[in-house]
Amino acid sequence: MVNPILLIIVPLAFAFALPIVGLISKKIVKYIPVLVFLFNLIISLLLIPKVLDQTIIVKIGGFHPPFGINLFVGPVGILFSALIALAGLLVSVYALSYIKEGPKEKYHILYLLLLTGATGVVLTGDMFNLFVFFEILCISSYALVAYFGNKAGIESSIKYLIQGSVGSSFLLLGIGLLYGQLGTLNMADIANQIHSISSPSIFVPMIFIITGLGIEAAIFPLNAWLPDAHSSAPSSISAILSGIAIEVGLYAVIRVIFTIFNASSFLMFFVFLGVLTLLIGEMSAFSQKNIKRMLAYSSIGQIGLIMFAVSLNTQLGVSAGLFQMISHTLGKGLLFLSVGFLIYKIGSMEISSFEGIGKKMPFTSLLFTIGAFSIVGLPPFAGFASKFMIIRAALSTGQLLFTILIGVILLGTVIEGAYFFKVIQSIYFKGNTDIIKSDEAPLIALIPMFIFALLIVFIGVYPDFLAKILNSAASEFINRIDYIRSVLG
Amino acid sequence: MEFLTDNIYYIGAFGLIFIGLFIILVKHNLIKVIIGLGILDTGINLFLIAIGYINNGTAPIFSKPGLDVGNMVDPVPQALVLTSIVIGVAILALALSLAIRLYKHYGSLDLRKIKEQRW
Amino acid sequence: MKKIISLILLFIICLGIIFCLQKIPFGAAKTKVGNYYIDNGREETGAANIVTSVVLNYRGFDTLGEVTILFLAAMGLGTVLATLHKKDKRQIEQASLILKTGCRFLFPLILLFGAYIFFHGHLTPGGGFQGGAIIASAFLLVYLGCRGRKINETSSKLTESIGGLVFLIMGLIGLTLGGHYFLSNFIPKGEINTLFSAGIIPIIYIAIGFKVGSELTGIIDNLMEKS
Repeated sequence: MVNPILLIIVPLAFAFALPIVGLISKKIVKYIPVLVFLFNLIISLLLIPKVLDQTIIVKIGGFHPPFGINLFVGPVGILFSALIALAGLLVSVYALSYIKEGPKEKYHILYLLLLTGATGVVLTGDMFNLFVFFEILCISSYALVAYFGNKAGIESSIKYLIQGSVGSSFLLLGIGLLYGQLGTLNMADIANQIHSISSPSIFVPMIFIITGLGIEAAIFPLNAWLPDAHSSAPSSISAILSGIAIEVGLYAVIRVIFTIFNASSFLMFFVFLGVLTLLIGEMSAFSQKNIKRMLAYSSIGQIGLIMFAVSLNTQLGVSAGLFQMISHTLGKGLLFLSVGFLIYKIGSMEISSFEGIGKKMPFTSLLFTIGAFSIVGLPPFAGFASKFMIIRAALSTGQLLFTILIGVILLGTVIEGAYFFKVIQSIYFKGNTDIIKSDEAPLIALIPMFIFALLIVFIGVYPDFLAKILNSAASEFINRIDYIRSVLG
Repeated sequence: MEFLTDNIYYIGAFGLIFIGLFIILVKHNLIKVIIGLGILDTGINLFLIAIGYINNGTAPIFSKPGLDVGNMVDPVPQALVLTSIVIGVAILALALSLAIRLYKHYGSLDLRKIKEQRW
Repeated sequence: MKKIISLILLFIICLGIIFCLQKIPFGAAKTKVGNYYIDNGREETGAANIVTSVVLNYRGFDTLGEVTILFLAAMGLGTVLATLHKKDKRQIEQASLILKTGCRFLFPLILLFGAYIFFHGHLTPGGGFQGGAIIASAFLLVYLGCRGRKINETSSKLTESIGGLVFLIMGLIGLTLGGHYFLSNFIPKGEINTLFSAGIIPIIYIAIGFKVGSELTGIIDNLMEKS
């Protein structure tokens, strides 16, 4: 059996070794992330059957849990690390032909470390270790947003950095307050000692920790950095930020609320916050003229939808939320990758300049359309299956409040459809109709986009493929007693 | 008065945290905001170490044989602060390099003038 | 207006924290985890400095993350400052004779002091990070005092990468050979309070010391050259 710690150590080792490889030969540097994430993907897929059987606890250094750090590899962890490895692999193949200028070797090192941080956040079982890996994720994204070095990039990066580091300071403050009262840093041990969140000495650290993690997870009042950062970054990095980084932040918030604090009474507030985030994201996206800012606001809307689904606090609701996370990664990743080459060939990010590009770059426009349909939630695609599951979960709780909120969510979906159709109409049906020479994106860039589209269609047509692992993942969040028992024995 | 002298370390640490937060929220010169980030980090590190103190305790190092075990402070917050100081250094280095690039682009460090990205 | 809103926000946070701090009286009794480390730290790890055994043995994974973050800072700084071209070749003013001689005299002494700190990390307060910072300050002294000399970039990059890789390789050897756990202490622990004790701890601290020194020096070099 392969030790799951290799999922974190192998990318880290290659990131440390990349400067030496760069000194020997500059040409093979860009192929190393591809190999590393292929390895990660194979290991994650091989571990899935064993993890569904029984969760793996990896003790680092051989010390028994509260006295040493442990990794908790459960269904949620292995699902997320497979998703991270898949997205990392496809975007690194895309970056083989997309990243042509700037300090390329440092781009690949920062890229490897971003995904190492993300994998570390989802696999760890210790609060301070969560903080350290979360910082690795955040700092590499600050540096990667500023990769191009133009005015917009540097400005977005400094604003992201200031807000992000205030957030991580709050996170550390919350961890310190918890340690002072409970005397331990292990997640299961903290969960064992917290019985209710009604006393202010437990409520205040929880608010600090959720605020700190929520800045990265783009929850409503804390997401002012997101539109600037995601639109000024290189498109491959926007795909990873929208698809992986904010979802890993939301995973951390969910882990804190469900497993550590058991804060079911807080979830009602979370429901309203989720719907508010969704509405604000969709309505702001409707009035955008820059295509990447539009996609960034759409990410905010989708995070609101996932928050709503998870705070239903039922088995079906939480698995619907996790399913929506997967379809959002695939769909938004495809959208950003296709937009990357569209912008590169056209030369501007304004939607009005996209007219008629459907004939010049037929494959890329088709892939953009598939991504858009999946995010809106049209039938044979993954987005439809996940949204349908969310609606089913909300209706099955039987409460009138959730039924009304579903109406609000459907209104948001209609707005989403409106702005995406505006773009698609501009791509295909406007502009002059004489046949222009086709100037398509290179083949190496088309292959990962094609694989994303294939996965979207496959999961949309056959959603039961993921049903087993989604159910186990949802029950890991809901049954925290099992979590505590498997770590502490 | 007893309250003040007993908890002076907590009051000092939180005073630094609040000064840091106030600077970040209110000032509009970028270098001052970065200094505020540094002060915030220092305040949080001081708070973490203050949590670990035991009355009449000494450093947890067994430099002489036969040192009394029961009189040592908690070693865990000191390890946490070691990591946190390094993280603070990394963020300050990155922030300062971004400030250098920003000055080259805009010619000024006033945050009210660096608002090219709007709705 | 902004000031009033921020003051109100800070006041609310202050109230929340005061409620919370009533449960953490200053100077209170030891926690369960801290107790365990102080009681059993010497036998399990062999280091006389309990903080070092916590940093490198019990919570060694956090230290690996910390080393990564410092590496990230150096790489990020290099990325952001990379496309800046230093346009004006300012005339470098030569330092006076006293300054130059003083710097050349102090440089090896500071290096020696930094090396002493990270070699004895498991016996006295200090360790890899502190020693590495002192070494970088020695290089800063040379940059500021004897101007016009710079470090060899290739050897700096090599030291950085090899330092990080040594840490990971020690951990992986623990995974395969030692107790079959990552970062287990597989080298015999020796007698406490001597230089060659505590298993893998001094080896890792030496690697970290070199790595941090060359990394911070690389950051100083980047900032001096490109701005």
